Amino acid sequence: MPILTVEGLRKSFGGVTAVHGVSLALEGGRIYGLIGPNGSGKTTLFNCITGLERCDAGRVVFKHERIDHLRPSAIARRGIGRTFQVIRVFPELTALENLLVVTRGPRAAAERRGRELLAFVKLEGLAGEYAGNLSYGQQKLVEFVRVLMTDPLLILLDEPAAGVNRTLLNDLLGAFGRLRDEGRTILLVEHDMKVVMGLCETVFVLDHGEMIAQGPPGLIQADERVIEAYFGA
Amino acid sequence: MTVPLTPEMVGQVLISGVLSGALYAMVALGLALIYGVMRVINIAHGPLLMLGAYVTYFLYSRAGLNPFLSVPVAMAALFVVGLVLQRTLVFRVVDAPELSSLLLTFGISIALVNLAQNAFTSDLRSVEYITGSWLIGGLALSKPRFIAFLFATAVTGLAFLFLKKTRLGKAIRATSQSREVALVCGIDVRRIHLLTFGIASALAAGGGALLAVIVAIQPEMGGVWTFKSFLVIVLGGAGNYPGALLGGLLLGLVEQLASLFLTTQLSEVVAYVLLVVVLLIRPTGLLGGRQT
Amino acid sequence: MTGARGPLLAALAVVVAALAVYPAFGTGYGVRSMLQIFMWIALAGSWNLISGLTGYVSFGHVAFFGIGAYAGAILVTSAGWSWPVAALAGGLAAVLLALLIGYPCLRLKGPYFAIAMLGLNEVLRALVSYFEGLTGGGNGLSLPTLDATRSIYYVMGLLAAAVTAATWLIVTSRFGLRLMTIREDEIAAEAMGIDTFQHKLAAFLLSALGPGIAGALTARDQGYIEPISVFPLAVTVTMIVMVLFGGKGTVWGPVVGAVVLFVAQELVWAHYPYVHPLLFGAIIIGVVLLMPRGVLGLLQLKYRLPRTI
Repeated sequence: MPILTVEGLRKSFGGVTAVHGVSLALEGGRIYGLIGPNGSGKTTLFNCITGLERCDAGRVVFKHERIDHLRPSAIARRGIGRTFQVIRVFPELTALENLLVVTRGPRAAAERRGRELLAFVKLEGLAGEYAGNLSYGQQKLVEFVRVLMTDPLLILLDEPAAGVNRTLLNDLLGAFGRLRDEGRTILLVEHDMKVVMGLCETVFVLDHGEMIAQGPPGLIQADERVIEAYFGA
Repeated sequence: MTVPLTPEMVGQVLISGVLSGALYAMVALGLALIYGVMRVINIAHGPLLMLGAYVTYFLYSRAGLNPFLSVPVAMAALFVVGLVLQRTLVFRVVDAPELSSLLLTFGISIALVNLAQNAFTSDLRSVEYITGSWLIGGLALSKPRFIAFLFATAVTGLAFLFLKKTRLGKAIRATSQSREVALVCGIDVRRIHLLTFGIASALAAGGGALLAVIVAIQPEMGGVWTFKSFLVIVLGGAGNYPGALLGGLLLGLVEQLASLFLTTQLSEVVAYVLLVVVLLIRPTGLLGGRQT
Repeated sequence: MTGARGPLLAALAVVVAALAVYPAFGTGYGVRSMLQIFMWIALAGSWNLISGLTGYVSFGHVAFFGIGAYAGAILVTSAGWSWPVAALAGGLAAVLLALLIGYPCLRLKGPYFAIAMLGLNEVLRALVSYFEGLTGGGNGLSLPTLDATRSIYYVMGLLAAAVTAATWLIVTSRFGLRLMTIREDEIAAEAMGIDTFQHKLAAFLLSALGPGIAGALTARDQGYIEPISVFPLAVTVTMIVMVLFGGKGTVWGPVVGAVVLFVAQELVWAHYPYVHPLLFGAIIIGVVLLMPRGVLGLLQLKYRLPRTI
């Protein structure tokens, strides 16, 4: 039973169609990849799923509920978390406050969990530092664990590996695996093919707003249309 | 308060609406340019209009200059003022968060209005150059408004020609579409910002100069024009220069229609309600698309 | 900063005690001035709640002051209410107005909201002159004579303290943090599950309460109000200047701004009344360009002071 289905999603900006009738289904407890050349509509697809853009046509169903007309905060609270291609931490809040601000329950428990997550990405010493003062890589990690604070069932990651050093990347990849084993679903946009091919069970390929291929990494790599989209014509 | 609608009234509404619409369009175009090119919300737009009106007034009362001839003078004078304002103050907030440009132009507008209050006092002034209306059929065509309409249409037309045909105009349009691309194309973006603010100020001043013959002049007359210019842009679509024409016309017509049923003072309330309603109906996703 | 807490609290206690006994010693002018300072602290502090914390600039905030003044005055004159209760009712009226305006307008993005609030000023101006014609309201409303300046001094002081305390509570809570995320990055805030509309509305309603009560109290104190005295743009401008100068988004910034600018106004600019509004415009420009965080904001940044400053 897929936890997320997207049917016939279409989104245009002025005269440009960014997403053209895309459909996909995500099962629980898997890691999916979303790849495609620049401008193929990946981030727009993310935005439509998370409600930051209103799609022109199509439906998005999450856990049996249609969500495409909801406001982004309502969608997020139903269990979808995401990171952004361009990092969006809150610069004048501290790293810890960035994590706290998305929580609702008792503050003490939230702070504990926040510190744990910061420790996991080896940033516990910077908990009180303004997020705006952190390095690019550090901000990226804060943004990632911020998503985890809300215990999302579906996690959308927009280029999580970009700008992260090798050792930490391995830790992250391990974390993704653990999240998957907990039953969560991850959909990640990535340009780093090693990450995608090594981690994802299924890969979707977008080109010019259309889904041109989907399947296991091995098949995708050999798919002619994919090769053409990236290198050809 | 049911008023039986006669064809004459409808005709009158149409005429008056179009007449005032042209003026709205001209002034709003200036505001649209500033927002389009610099992403700055120029709250000082109305006060610039007011200063244009005063230029006309003083040229008329001191030098006896035909107020319509002083339109280009007012435009030139405020063009310079606009350049100065941009070069000294506004350029600093072009890349800053919108909050900064809002507050800065707000501060400038306060300062300008109070400069005017100090220099000119708050006494109402007027330029009684031409009054009355021509009667055509059963309809009254206000003379000053009609002449103002002609000027406004001419100026707006010239402005659009400028934007479409001249190199500078195209550079302005390019910059408002994408500053990065404009830079890559070798356009001196800072110069464009400077000139745009000057041109926009000139447009506002032109509106003020034309208004001088029609309404009473006082330092606070501009405030409502700032607001209405925004309304025009919202109606016509932000970032869409020809939209200013449509928006201006629409506002003019709606206002005149409303004035059939309400006093002119309340017609401003109508404009306000219209703004809120339009902003709510327009599908503004949070990301909003390029328009916003 | 727990080391400094003791002495700071002691200093605060001294100030409060001094203010409490001041009416016994001060001149009528002195008490009136302090009363006005309290009023400005309440106004500036309230404006800070919406505009300083969320970044949504409210250019029409004087509307709440005026509504409170009229509601309070009418209840005292026509319904014979006691002025303290009428003042609370004035606050309630302001909150209702905020709900009416905020519900549609806060759905708009920041700049559009600012424009809508700017329009509110113009609308107020128009309505004021309209009602003047209709009700002869240009003659204003007179309240039954009552010398309650001392009591009003205390109530207004309490209001100022309450607004400042509320700001402190908000800034140290997660609610306050969420308000700040709206200012920092509204899109990211939404994506993280924060209902920005509800939060903006809550802050807006809270920000209307203080001015509403202050308006009613001022009406009672002056004994007479007319439209132009309670709805002038100058009130909003002054609120804005005080908060910008003192430090928007801080707890004590509005207090600092209110005190400094009011004193300066009384001492210096009372001699040059026509220059005064011009100077406010210049101060806004100066602060935005040179000191956008205001005095306390700057100190906070430079010396890494806690957010409760």
